[in-house]
Amino acid sequence: MKTTRIHKTLIAAVLGVALAAGANAYADGDDRDHDHGGENHARYKTVENQLYKQECSACHYLYLPGLLPARSWEALIKGSDKHFGENLALDEGTSSEILGFLKANSAEKTNTEWSNKIMKSVGSSTPTRIMDVPWVIKEHREVKDAFKRPSVGSASNCGACHTRGHEGDFETVKVPK
Amino acid sequence: MKRGLLSIIALTALLVSSSAWAALSLDMQALLEKYRKEADVKSFSAEDGKKFFATKRMHSKGEERSCATCHTSDPRQKGKTVVGKVIEPMAQSANKERFTDPKKVEKWFKRNCEWVLERECTPKEKGDFILYMTSI
Repeated sequence: MKTTRIHKTLIAAVLGVALAAGANAYADGDDRDHDHGGENHARYKTVENQLYKQECSACHYLYLPGLLPARSWEALIKGSDKHFGENLALDEGTSSEILGFLKANSAEKTNTEWSNKIMKSVGSSTPTRIMDVPWVIKEHREVKDAFKRPSVGSASNCGACHTRGHEGDFETVKVPK
Repeated sequence: MKRGLLSIIALTALLVSSSAWAALSLDMQALLEKYRKEADVKSFSAEDGKKFFATKRMHSKGEERSCATCHTSDPRQKGKTVVGKVIEPMAQSANKERFTDPKKVEKWFKRNCEWVLERECTPKEKGDFILYMTSI
């Protein structure tokens, strides 16, 4: 009986510490965001749209809309019947909802250091690949050989190295072997 | 006695052949019936579907393509898109979400038939494909 009580107290204590640690970790993350916002130049707000996810991420990485200017997304969706050699077969309602979402969250609308750099870098061009943005190409110069690794697949598979990219964090990078 | 045995065999065969369809939703069955009428066939063939799935075709881009290029030769396994994204299994036995939504099925036939064959699939090809995917 006594042992059980001790056990219970112990479990409660361990849980308490774990919870406090968890809360602390969260608070730390939060602090980092707020107090040193300038350091988080790679952090985008996560944005979601069910149709975008369903239609686009079935085949490839779910690119954050803030990585390209609105006119690029427009070109991509308008040309979706010839999407890098594929007809995406999007109906009108679907493509207009997806384009609306992409334009509302495009690089012009996303005020991060990265999106500003992307906008500056593209000038008046309309890239249809994120890897066609001159600044993005430059940033990947040193790792370009890693794109060919089977664990990466191709340069369009952002998530292979940007393991937290789906959360809007492109600074955390782990290049697989 | 012999006749009794024969009818049992016949009944079993009927049950086995219809069991794949029974798993399909009513609107999926309606889609298949539409394909069947358009194809003007009595029934579809899982065997033809299997062949269709594996048949390689030289694409105008100069590379051989088939359904299996991305879905692997065993549709019960996970596949990979050309840019390396994982595709969940196509076979309904491995992925119960497959072939539940006619709109989705039609959309993906349109997308992928063009990728492999550079044309739309025929109603017969679609029906055979669905039968194969829902019976393995």
